[in-house]
Amino acid sequence: MRLRRLVVAVHRDVGYFFAGLTVLYAISGVAVNHMADWNPSYRLEKSQHQVGVVPEGTAAEQGREVARRLGIDAEPMSSVRVGPGLLKVFFEDRTLTVSLPTGEVEDERRARRFFLYEVNFLHLNKGKGWWTWFADAYAVGLALLAVTGLFILPGRKGLSGRGKWLVGAGLLAPLLYLVFFR
Amino acid sequence: MRRVLGLMVLTAITAMPALAGEVKKYGAGVTLNEGVSVAELLAAPEKFVGKKVRVDGVVTAVCAKRGCWMMITDPEREQGIRIKVEDGVIVFPMEAMGRKASAEGIFEVVNPAGEKHDQAQHATQAGGEHASGASCAEQEKAAKKASATYQIAGTGAIVY
Repeated sequence: MRLRRLVVAVHRDVGYFFAGLTVLYAISGVAVNHMADWNPSYRLEKSQHQVGVVPEGTAAEQGREVARRLGIDAEPMSSVRVGPGLLKVFFEDRTLTVSLPTGEVEDERRARRFFLYEVNFLHLNKGKGWWTWFADAYAVGLALLAVTGLFILPGRKGLSGRGKWLVGAGLLAPLLYLVFFR
Repeated sequence: MRRVLGLMVLTAITAMPALAGEVKKYGAGVTLNEGVSVAELLAAPEKFVGKKVRVDGVVTAVCAKRGCWMMITDPEREQGIRIKVEDGVIVFPMEAMGRKASAEGIFEVVNPAGEKHDQAQHATQAGGEHASGASCAEQEKAAKKASATYQIAGTGAIVY
């Protein structure tokens, strides 16, 4: 009886502590699970322009000229020739790829996806540092939640009753996948 | 009051740009004091394959999805090289594009298979030389070099 009370208390308190992070990771998990179909952290928009032949000059001069012709007020962060006749002009949230001989410009604008960028940043541990340890603790917390959850309820509705079937079914899906698709 | 404070914290977190005005270190950073130019690496790759090198330049491309590679271009020579890292171990943000960077790692061949040199197709002169004057071995070496691609298996970088 005392053991069950401890199990319930651990499950409750660990559950409360990690409830928020679990929801955040769940949202991020769905987002990054479909990384093949979309960019879960950035919104990228491409468009094409024609600015005419760009006169010769330094990369910086040419970059500024292209920006002026496109009506971009911001000063380029940098302009770099990346190959024969190919210039890239960089802004904080925008990259122009310019074909100098033809004047064709590929304009790529990027923006972080609101909220998704931040949750993915956490979920994928992009920042490293102490978050790695906190994420490890979260993993331990999840394991505690799973194990304590098995023993909360006694009897028919507990592990010895319907619980064992549901636990078995839950393990069956990943096992079958590994058998047939690995 | 609590609502205002909470909103301020949330705004600060979401509005914080990743790289504005700071040197950002990725992985082990850079430890070599001197870099080698991309042009030098690509001109004589056999000298550097398997060795730890450092390159400096501007970040001209970044993997949009996983941040698992970035292209560093030498703005003087218009040549770039890819810095490839293990997925998830180092993540380069897209905000690095256009910024100066130094990266370090092992210079490696990505596609070592070059064009197959079919000796039967070439008219040879005495000593195995082709009409162009180059020997079969030299032709094969040039063909391999032309189609081989190189990258740096990155161990660290700084973006500034």
